[in-house]
Amino acid sequence: MLLRTVVFTAVNVGLTMVLGTLGALLLVRVSTWVRLLLTTGLVLVWAMPPVVAVQVWSWMTNSENGVLNYILTDVLHFGNYFQHNWYETTFSQYSMVTSLVVWGAIPFVTITVYAALSQVPHELVEAAQIDGARAWRIFKDVTLPVLMPVLLILTSLSIIWDFGAFTQPYLLIGPGQQTTSNYLMSTYLYFEGFGKTDFGIGAAISILMLVIVAALSVVYVRRMLRVGEEA
Amino acid sequence: MSRRRARGRLGWNALGIVIFVVLVFPVFWMLSTSLKDNDQISSFTPTWFPRHPTLQHFADAIHRQYFWTDVGNSAIVVLATVAIALVLSFLAAIALAKYGFSGRKLFIVLVIGIQMLPQAGLIIPLYIVLAGRHQVNTLTGVILVYLTFALPFCVWTLRGFVLGIPKELEEAAMVDGSTRLGAFVRILLPLVAPGLVATAVFAFITSWNEFIFANTLLHSGSKQTITVWLSFLYGGNRFVDWGQIMAASTLIAIPVVIFFLLVQRRISFGLTTGAVKG
Repeated sequence: MLLRTVVFTAVNVGLTMVLGTLGALLLVRVSTWVRLLLTTGLVLVWAMPPVVAVQVWSWMTNSENGVLNYILTDVLHFGNYFQHNWYETTFSQYSMVTSLVVWGAIPFVTITVYAALSQVPHELVEAAQIDGARAWRIFKDVTLPVLMPVLLILTSLSIIWDFGAFTQPYLLIGPGQQTTSNYLMSTYLYFEGFGKTDFGIGAAISILMLVIVAALSVVYVRRMLRVGEEA
Repeated sequence: MSRRRARGRLGWNALGIVIFVVLVFPVFWMLSTSLKDNDQISSFTPTWFPRHPTLQHFADAIHRQYFWTDVGNSAIVVLATVAIALVLSFLAAIALAKYGFSGRKLFIVLVIGIQMLPQAGLIIPLYIVLAGRHQVNTLTGVILVYLTFALPFCVWTLRGFVLGIPKELEEAAMVDGSTRLGAFVRILLPLVAPGLVATAVFAFITSWNEFIFANTLLHSGSKQTITVWLSFLYGGNRFVDWGQIMAASTLIAIPVVIFFLLVQRRISFGLTTGAVKG
């Protein structure tokens, strides 16, 4: 369960950060009207309440006539997903939860990284271009160092959020479908604490979670503290 | 060179549009479904747009048991949380930004640190504390719990806004014979007002969206908040009424979307303040 939580967190954070950063890099390259379109979309997604997003997800992925199966089968021709049940295996269940969590988390990362990208000095990029550097080299040696502090904070925030994710796994997989075979720490402590009213075990898991998160958030807190003292 | 660049931009634009479509599809699908009639929804081959747009699902959703009661509960909880958090945290933010006092550093660490705790890990201790005071299944209990995360956030964000206002302005007012209180009311308050609004809206959104605590602390249907109400919504007895669920989802998302569009820039700024400048 601890391992599952760690893997779940790692996959979610990894996908969120990579896709979010790529999104920000894309925002820089498109025309103004496409950028406006994308930012509006991002804010719209960002604003969706998690419980609402869960309901939309269970409607889109339901096996009877969910639109996901339809798109995979009849629009993209990926194979036959007619009445495919996405909630049959633990892996498949968490793929759905991951898609939901990452979808909801990308806007924050993209918009923040995009803001940070505007801090990259133009002169440096141009100088590198004149020196004949390729796009990848420019990104690695000029852009990335400027982005690093932001990426660091975003990553630690995402780790903290995804590690404690509860609403999405609890509701999307369904309270009735959760067993010892597919618990995350957050859902496990909930069911021990309130399902079986065993506050002892629940509290023990809580403490374990808090310790892990406390260790993870040291980076973020220290950074914020430094900012706080400078100002 | 310029033609190549133009062609490159065309490619990026196309990619951008594809991503936009994928990104907003779930939101589009929610809206589209909420306006379709039941025959179209339950069909095995989905269609993109509603053929005979109907508001029936919205009517069903708002006439469902406890919808208005629970919207009311959410409103009470959210307004109380926002009001209390704003007053307390504004004073705390001023203290943090303007005065040195012993324990200041510890206070800052706590304010930042508390925001980092996963809410799931706090359910049990908070439940036990509230149960000891007979505040489980009451809105007061939920308001207290919401304050635990709204307060630190508001303190930290408002502190940033207060810091953004030059000290000299207030000092000038005091030199001109204004009292400290007068300088506060006439100079500081109007200048911080936009920050106060942004912070209030953010506290509003997080409390309105909150699910874990409300779900654990509120047991009876007439006392729940609207997110818990939505999580229990499955529609009719014999089939899942997706039209109604999507209509209700839309209604619950609307206030958040409106407020979010109002303050989106400031929020992104607040959460990573300093990182960008760093």
